[in-house]
Amino acid sequence: MELLELKGISKEYRSGKGAVKALSDINLSVKRGEFVSIMGPSGSGKSTLLNVIGCLDRPSAGEYFLDGMKVDRVSDDKLSEIRNRYIGFVFQNFHLLQGLDALGNVELPLIYRGIGSAERKRRAKEALDAVGLSDRIHHRPSELSGGEQQRVAIARALVQEPLLVLADEPTGSLDSRTGRAIMELFQKLNTERGITVVMVTHDRDMARYGRRIVRLLDGRIKEEEFIG
Amino acid sequence: MRFFFAAQMAWQGVVINPLRSGLTVLGVAIGVASVVSLMGIGEGARLAVVKQFESLGSNVIVIKAHDAKAEFMPEEAEELLERVSGLKYASPVVRTNAVMRWRRARGQVEIIGVSSDFPELRDHRLVSGRFFTKWHVEQRSPVAVLGYNIGAGLLGGRSPVGQTLTLNGQTYRIVGVLEKKGPGQAEGIDDKVVIPYTTALKIAGKKTVDELWVKAESAKAADLAIAQLGRIYRRKLGFDATAPKPGDGEQQQMPGKEGAEKPVETLPAPQPEDQSKEEKPALELGKDIITITNLNTLVEEADKANRVMTLLLGGIAAVSLLVGGLGIMNIMLVAVTERTAEIGVRRALGAKKFDLLLQFLMEAFYLSGMGAATGTALGIWGVNLFNRYGFNAVISAEAVRVAVFVALGCGLIFGVYPAWTAASVPPVEALRR
Repeated sequence: MELLELKGISKEYRSGKGAVKALSDINLSVKRGEFVSIMGPSGSGKSTLLNVIGCLDRPSAGEYFLDGMKVDRVSDDKLSEIRNRYIGFVFQNFHLLQGLDALGNVELPLIYRGIGSAERKRRAKEALDAVGLSDRIHHRPSELSGGEQQRVAIARALVQEPLLVLADEPTGSLDSRTGRAIMELFQKLNTERGITVVMVTHDRDMARYGRRIVRLLDGRIKEEEFIG
Repeated sequence: MRFFFAAQMAWQGVVINPLRSGLTVLGVAIGVASVVSLMGIGEGARLAVVKQFESLGSNVIVIKAHDAKAEFMPEEAEELLERVSGLKYASPVVRTNAVMRWRRARGQVEIIGVSSDFPELRDHRLVSGRFFTKWHVEQRSPVAVLGYNIGAGLLGGRSPVGQTLTLNGQTYRIVGVLEKKGPGQAEGIDDKVVIPYTTALKIAGKKTVDELWVKAESAKAADLAIAQLGRIYRRKLGFDATAPKPGDGEQQQMPGKEGAEKPVETLPAPQPEDQSKEEKPALELGKDIITITNLNTLVEEADKANRVMTLLLGGIAAVSLLVGGLGIMNIMLVAVTERTAEIGVRRALGAKKFDLLLQFLMEAFYLSGMGAATGTALGIWGVNLFNRYGFNAVISAEAVRVAVFVALGCGLIFGVYPAWTAASVPPVEALRR
């Protein structure tokens, strides 16, 4: 069953003199439970693609179905709801809120879902446990190492029980050993929980954790490679 | 639910940067405090003046002669009660000094000679004894009622009623002691000795008085009595009461400072061609001879002037309150710019525009709310401080209400724009930082 289906997706940015075409005619489908890596040189449109998939940005043209719903033209509030219910984000810079401890950061998506405090805390602790940080729940981001911060971010994505986790260069700010540990975590979530992962990276080694690599060039899909 | 979480997260926004929040709160607090304390000073000054006038008694009309030739016979006071409708009490007033002797002590005291209507006329009560009677006045009895300070001082707090003292060598029996009015109130009656006007005239060596007091039944009766009194004295001075010449009559003047008498009805000297010229040639021309003053209007005028003063002070303070409000806007705009990434993350995690609008609005509201609370406390403290240095400032509930309302309003109004900016940042843009 297709979780993501992109049909003829284009994205143009109006900047300065003319329009910049970041994506043109992207056709891509991702099945439930897949682990897809998107690669490409900088400026190839991979982050734009991830933003469109993550409902953070709307395509200029084309159709996008997420779990069978047509989401390319829904309202801003509806997009917020979709992100909250279906999509977990993991960023290169972790994007944790500095004022909150690990638990508070992980709770955040559940707050916007309107879940009560006790339930929120229970689920957040569970998620932190799953990424091996049960002894760090009251540490603030500044008191955690890069790898630990990224684990908190992953726990924050996990707590939503998402269908899809989108990761934008998740190992970009980490050393290679920590990076590999993070990738193994993604792999584990993918195989054990069946969470679909779509990851953008320019690191060939990291990309190989996925089972399919989609290569972009100048806003178009150049080639797809399946890893055996 | 959503509101509650927005409130919670807004609070985090406040405590995450304590220095910045503190300074913003201080800005609002100073504004609120200055409104509360300056309006407190203004209001205090107003109340002090009003109280001073009120201590003179309500609905009292003072008739004063400014020329020895125009002075009144003391019996005129009583006559006015019959001739002018709506008057209830009347008294001539004799002011003089005497040497008072009490046991071995002696000293100069101010004497005020009045009729037995005096307590009702000027709203005086007695702490002990009784006031002298009409009979005492007619008999020129040597009786005295003491102002509170004098009365309390003689026997160290015990009532001196029944004792005797001497004024200019003549023995007087103390029949009563007046209730305390307070410093500067009721023309300083606390330090005076009140005796029958008949007796006082003897001390002063006079036959006429330059002042009459009458009291009307009501404020309205006082207004009517003023007109009637004007006619009576105009006729007495030789004017035609029914056809007053232009420029003769009622000229309204603004009250002076420090409880000066305000001539409500001013009677100038007659013009040279006037028939009265022959009768009263000694009258100086062009000067006020008799003034008739309604104390009620004095109170109103003073009250009005002081209200303007209070508003002015409040207005000045309001400017600083406005500056405090702009401080909130400034800080919130900085916060929005600085926290764009945070906004992006929240949006990515599922926050709606409304959630962010609410969060930033609440944050502004907290800042202004804390500013208002701190400012009120500071203002009250300021009022107490001013009072320690001799001001008569009061904590006016109205000032507090206005200041708090304006501060919260500023917080909300100046918070809307930054909050809207925050909510409108596209999530992609925000995450790019």
